[in-house]
Amino acid sequence: DVLVIGAGPSGLSAALAAADAGAKTVIADENARIGGSLGYQRGGGEAASEVLKELSDRVLAHPNISIRTETLAAGYYADHWVPLVDAKRMTKMRARAVIVASGVFEQPAVFHNNDLPGVMLASAAQRLIYRYAVRPMQSAVVLTANEDGYAAALDLLANGVRVEAVIDLRHAAGASDAATRLEQLGVRIQRGKAIYEAQAGGDGVGGAVICPLRADGGLDEGQRQKISCDGIVMSVGYAPAAALLYQSGAAMRFDAAVQQFLPQTLPEGVFAAGRVNGVYALEDRLLDGRRAGNEAARHVGFAAPAAFPVPRAAASPSHPYPIFDHPAGKNFVDFDEDLQLQDFFNAAQEGFDNIELLKRYTTVGMGPSQGKHSNMNAIRILAKLLGKPPGEVGSTTARPFFHPVAMSQLAGRGFHPQRLTPLHSRHEKEGAVFMQAGVWLRPEYYRQRGKLKPEIVREEAMAVRKSVGIIDVGTLGKMEISGPDAAAFLERFYTGRFANLRIGMTRYALMLDESGVIIDDGVVARLGEERFYFTTTTTGSANVYREMTRLNTMWGMRVGIVNATGAYAAVNLAGPRSRDVLAGVTNLELADQGFPYLAVREAEVAGVPARLMRVGFVGELGYEIHVPADGACAVWDALTQAGRVNGIRPFGVEAQRLLRLEKGHIIIGQDTDGLTTPFDASSEWAVKMDKPYFIGQRSLKIIQRKAPRTRLVGFVLDAIAEYEAPKECHLVINDGRIAGRVTSIAFSPSLQRHVGLAFVAPELAAEGGYLFIRADGGRMVQAMVSKIPFYDPAGQRQKDAKDLQAA
Amino acid sequence: MNYLRTSPLHDAFSAVQPVWDEAHGMRIASRVGGTDAAIEVLALADLSCLPKAGLKGPLAAQWLKAQGVPVPPEANTWAALPGDGVIARLGRSEFFLEDGASGGMAARAGSALGTGVEGVYPVIRQDCGILLAGPRSNELLVQTCNVNFAEMDAAKGIAVMTQMIGVGVLVIRTNLRQLPCYRIWCDPTFAQYFWATLSEIVAELGGGAIGTETLLK
Repeated sequence: DVLVIGAGPSGLSAALAAADAGAKTVIADENARIGGSLGYQRGGGEAASEVLKELSDRVLAHPNISIRTETLAAGYYADHWVPLVDAKRMTKMRARAVIVASGVFEQPAVFHNNDLPGVMLASAAQRLIYRYAVRPMQSAVVLTANEDGYAAALDLLANGVRVEAVIDLRHAAGASDAATRLEQLGVRIQRGKAIYEAQAGGDGVGGAVICPLRADGGLDEGQRQKISCDGIVMSVGYAPAAALLYQSGAAMRFDAAVQQFLPQTLPEGVFAAGRVNGVYALEDRLLDGRRAGNEAARHVGFAAPAAFPVPRAAASPSHPYPIFDHPAGKNFVDFDEDLQLQDFFNAAQEGFDNIELLKRYTTVGMGPSQGKHSNMNAIRILAKLLGKPPGEVGSTTARPFFHPVAMSQLAGRGFHPQRLTPLHSRHEKEGAVFMQAGVWLRPEYYRQRGKLKPEIVREEAMAVRKSVGIIDVGTLGKMEISGPDAAAFLERFYTGRFANLRIGMTRYALMLDESGVIIDDGVVARLGEERFYFTTTTTGSANVYREMTRLNTMWGMRVGIVNATGAYAAVNLAGPRSRDVLAGVTNLELADQGFPYLAVREAEVAGVPARLMRVGFVGELGYEIHVPADGACAVWDALTQAGRVNGIRPFGVEAQRLLRLEKGHIIIGQDTDGLTTPFDASSEWAVKMDKPYFIGQRSLKIIQRKAPRTRLVGFVLDAIAEYEAPKECHLVINDGRIAGRVTSIAFSPSLQRHVGLAFVAPELAAEGGYLFIRADGGRMVQAMVSKIPFYDPAGQRQKDAKDLQAA
Repeated sequence: MNYLRTSPLHDAFSAVQPVWDEAHGMRIASRVGGTDAAIEVLALADLSCLPKAGLKGPLAAQWLKAQGVPVPPEANTWAALPGDGVIARLGRSEFFLEDGASGGMAARAGSALGTGVEGVYPVIRQDCGILLAGPRSNELLVQTCNVNFAEMDAAKGIAVMTQMIGVGVLVIRTNLRQLPCYRIWCDPTFAQYFWATLSEIVAELGGGAIGTETLLK
């Protein structure tokens, strides 16, 4: 029912409250023993141990509580899913409520030579003593800004360490019980002072140089004083161990009084308790744990006392700026990454004045400790440089897993979804070499004994040009939209006009985003007055469908939208003999009069109900045949059988790319990028600016008024060896400056020369002009801007199909 | 329809040389390895052949009722159709129907709807339909899905739309011969990946694939 993360006093108290209410409760703690800071922050006395013993006895005896020690809660995922990582395995824990009682990370002070051996956090010194029976040093200077430093000094004294002095950053620190005891034991307490530098000696620290702290936070270096010691113990503040809270979606705010980021709002079923929640006094932590335990129990349906307020820290346990400049540097902020204070000054000077940018520039927090001991100080430094409070600088969210986790715990079966078209086995049989296209596998080309890929691709292309080829285009997105507003919806969604599209005809469709950038394209077929079938790009189908359903939620139009991508298979039968082949497997009237270019028909192909579209992506007489997935093999087998007499040949993605390039058809994502508008892509013909509205129209109207930025043009090369030809992404250079780039290029076997598409500066876009493309090795290759299509510019291959067949 | 339908799992079964049969116009593996003993541990079967229909639209529920189809009252629930069929309500206004070994309500509804009527739009369903059954079913599910199926009460008729091994699925829980049983449907283009991955886990758990011979009787 309830997962409690952290077995400190607040976590144990929370678990007891939840379990007492009847909730099955699991406590996870990364340490070997429960108790958290009660086990080592003892203040030289027994009170903490007594509290711990009482809590432990109750928790261990409670039938509703199970404890997992040496178990790290490594991340937080949706719906209270928390991976619990122990030495041997990872357990996927899904709790109904999660209490984060993960405590805090003590933070170091920043001063010269703070990386010397012997400079350590107070909690580290206390852990050495109480967990490992190690005396951390012989004589110590304790630097503090809170009462925990005094308690640490007492722990040191109680375990044989000489405490030379307690240096308190606070000018107005009151005389607490611990301070009084220390003074009674002869320890000097110096308030309003700081450590200017640690000095080396022996194997590590040889002394601490202290000086008064001015009211402005600087050091009065003129009054330096050296104290000999072999250890410096720091207790200047904490940062919350709030990674799981951030990951859960908690809103955190910086509390100036506590000097800590605290949860402001928590997601449903997530609770915070103890020091991570800004509650520091031991009795308050126990109370806060009980409150969180009660709330969690109630959340999962058990009767438990109502919420009650718990005071947060009265005085801040964290100093607002325990960071001190030094002319010799070596005042480390991030010990993993060797980052000194000056590195942060440099970053801010360079303009990296946002915590996310600062992190990337300096690499703060990117080492093994993932910022646990450096991010808070980095935020404080940046805040001071910007003159803002830390809350305005913001914090970063540590991604899960926020502690290192052994690879062995993560080893296992990998789940990598793979989509195959229903014709996959047919491609395998034909010797396909597959390529990855998003999550799909598609035939790149079909192996031929003794031939290399370029030759095969050209042969496949020429089979389409000369006779007939067949390609699996089942990866295209396939959608249906029906209803009284279907045409009106498409008018809004795409740039073209569809209200006037005649039943039985198709039209190219271009999709823009709100900024007027091309994001998808396809073909829309009108099957009835209120019924359309349309395609999207292979990788775009899910996004197009999601966007359509989102928009229709807003627009409230009377349409039903169906993503039928996986339910339909599709092939493109193309080439001058395609009609002959198709005629053998369907009774549909295929002559131009009955089935003209750009028409769509519904008929049976090989007994399978099919939608046939006469489209010309590859520039030949062709039929895109869409059938239910379970009929795909029957159709493929029938077509390849019927086409045998014409030498039908399957062709792959590479040949299709070549064929469409010869026709100058663009591929979204290859011949466009994240900034390409229809004006850039020379696709104005597909955009009806006089429509009342379409997505991106408003932006296009603005862009239209501006000077053109770039232009997609066709180009041809004079005869050139393949290895000398430019490649995709090679740059167009004009007067020594970058003036564009190649988006597509290939050798056209039909035209016997290289053809390509390139974005160029508008002044270079005139037909007949010359471009200079910087090819491999820096060679400049001259290209001539050419009209597109390169192949069959008049579209005769579609118009005079009969004549072509006769020829 | 005048063709032999191909199951999205046809190629996966070809490798194990099953006894083939034809059901509902589809070539299916009726027997695998000559026995259904795997069901006593954990079994996977291909039920993609069963006729399906889908529809959506504001008047979809009303239209189904008019056809005499029992309509689940709430989204994400399912109900039985005559002859071991199922109807799942996928949302406020979307439904998935599948006939069982006998009965033909789904097929009839699909035919009656045709290209749609006012406020009701057909949704083509070519799903890969899988049966997962046996005492160790939940052990497979915890490895492949975040939903806690162990707590699911078959009697409540919950229809879960979630992801298993990265694939969107519809899952319902039934019982088969007093054993836990799940029906899982996914997009047919993921079928081979889905089946191969589940088969690996099933094998590790001591189970295996079974044919449809006894399931469709």
